[in-house]
Amino acid sequence: MTNREKLQDLLQDILLLDPSEFRFDLARDEVETWDSMSVVAIAVGVDETFGYHMSPDEAMRVAGVRDIIGILEEKGISFAE
Amino acid sequence: MTRFKTLREGDTAGGTHVLEASWSGAATFFFVPDKGVNSQWLDQSAGLITAGFSENCFGLLTSGSTGEPRLILGSKQRTEKLVRVLHELQDSEPVEETVCALPLSYSYAFVNQWVWAHVFGRGLRLTAGFAEPDKLKAALEQARGAMLCLVGSQVALIRRYFPDAVFPGVIRLHFAGGRFPQEQLGFLREHFPNAQIFNNYGCAEAMPRLTLRRAEDAPEASRIGFPLPGVEMKSGADRKLLFRSPYRAVAYVDDEGFHPVADEDWIPTGDLGEQMPDGSWRLLGRANEVFKRFGEKISLPTLLTTVKGAWAGDAACYREVDAQGDEGYVLVLSPEPTGQQLRDVLMAFRKHHARPHWPLRIESLELMPLLPNGKPDVRSLQSATERQLHWRQRI
Repeated sequence: MTNREKLQDLLQDILLLDPSEFRFDLARDEVETWDSMSVVAIAVGVDETFGYHMSPDEAMRVAGVRDIIGILEEKGISFAE
Repeated sequence: MTRFKTLREGDTAGGTHVLEASWSGAATFFFVPDKGVNSQWLDQSAGLITAGFSENCFGLLTSGSTGEPRLILGSKQRTEKLVRVLHELQDSEPVEETVCALPLSYSYAFVNQWVWAHVFGRGLRLTAGFAEPDKLKAALEQARGAMLCLVGSQVALIRRYFPDAVFPGVIRLHFAGGRFPQEQLGFLREHFPNAQIFNNYGCAEAMPRLTLRRAEDAPEASRIGFPLPGVEMKSGADRKLLFRSPYRAVAYVDDEGFHPVADEDWIPTGDLGEQMPDGSWRLLGRANEVFKRFGEKISLPTLLTTVKGAWAGDAACYREVDAQGDEGYVLVLSPEPTGQQLRDVLMAFRKHHARPHWPLRIESLELMPLLPNGKPDVRSLQSATERQLHWRQRI
């Protein structure tokens, strides 16, 4: 499974998204279930899935899927297609 | 040994004549399950019963999902009066026999089926229920003009064991003892095409009926209909549902001692409820099934209604505290859901409820553990080691 697929699975699972609703350019504002509790759940899920512990600041600054990818790529985790 | 005659379910294996004899005699008797009865507790409880209850009564055991035993004493006369009222309201005159798929010592089966059959001289077909599904199926296939009394959780067992069977000989189908399977009415009407379906509500202390409604008279499982004639119900600011009834138990024994019940006493049902503008009643959950999570009121019965809208199998919940120390719950489905079925359940949560209402986890078991009365056995659910994890909140 690629990192893109892992991230997609994780976010679908946390945000209860149907696969057809998921996009890699999805913004937080577009998803009604992306609330403050989801922010915590995403941070925990990223740690479990990719082994990177996001700081509270980083987690709060995430405004969409692209931001998560950006944070992880900075740590050397590749999301190349 | 108690000073009261104690009959066990097994004593009726060859027929219910032992029950007939005890019912017809003056002395108070007990009728209890074969297994799971703490004889020492029963003896001690019997010793607490005062002389005024030594005659014309019968004792049944009850235990809710907490598993704590309670010995309920009913009056034979009051109970016969109740079955006469039910016979009329349930339009039971055309019913020729009743098929038992629940333990007969369960107050619902005992009163709705055995006492009714005794008073009206109708047939009683005993079965071991879903413990022996083939025999139950045969009994239902042979039934003519029959009444069947079930609890909601048995619908999943009908789906499992009798997926293609049709039982035209069942003309009355009653549910009690838990959530009414409103979402399964289409399925039930296919399998029981000639049956009038009823939602019965009550509790063992009511011995056991308080309200009745026909399935088609309300759209929600939580709507329990109108009180039976003579029954009074009320709920206060705390929504705890209380009743007074001319058919109620006359006394009970629990770990706190012997409690005679007086006519003026309001008795808690253990449920929360509210009266509708038309005078009928709606359940809001068990008093211990409503709690707060992140400041929001969580009602497990309401959430199970959501689940049942998306999932045809069995579902139950157990309470658990999350890693932050907040109250939450775990949803258990049975049998194991497919990936799509799980998504359907999750989508239903998303559509109808905010995240605090979502379960901490969704797990599955191949078979839902049930109490003898057919309700999910929450204690066994919690301790079952073969539970499979399908989804979890990562908080």
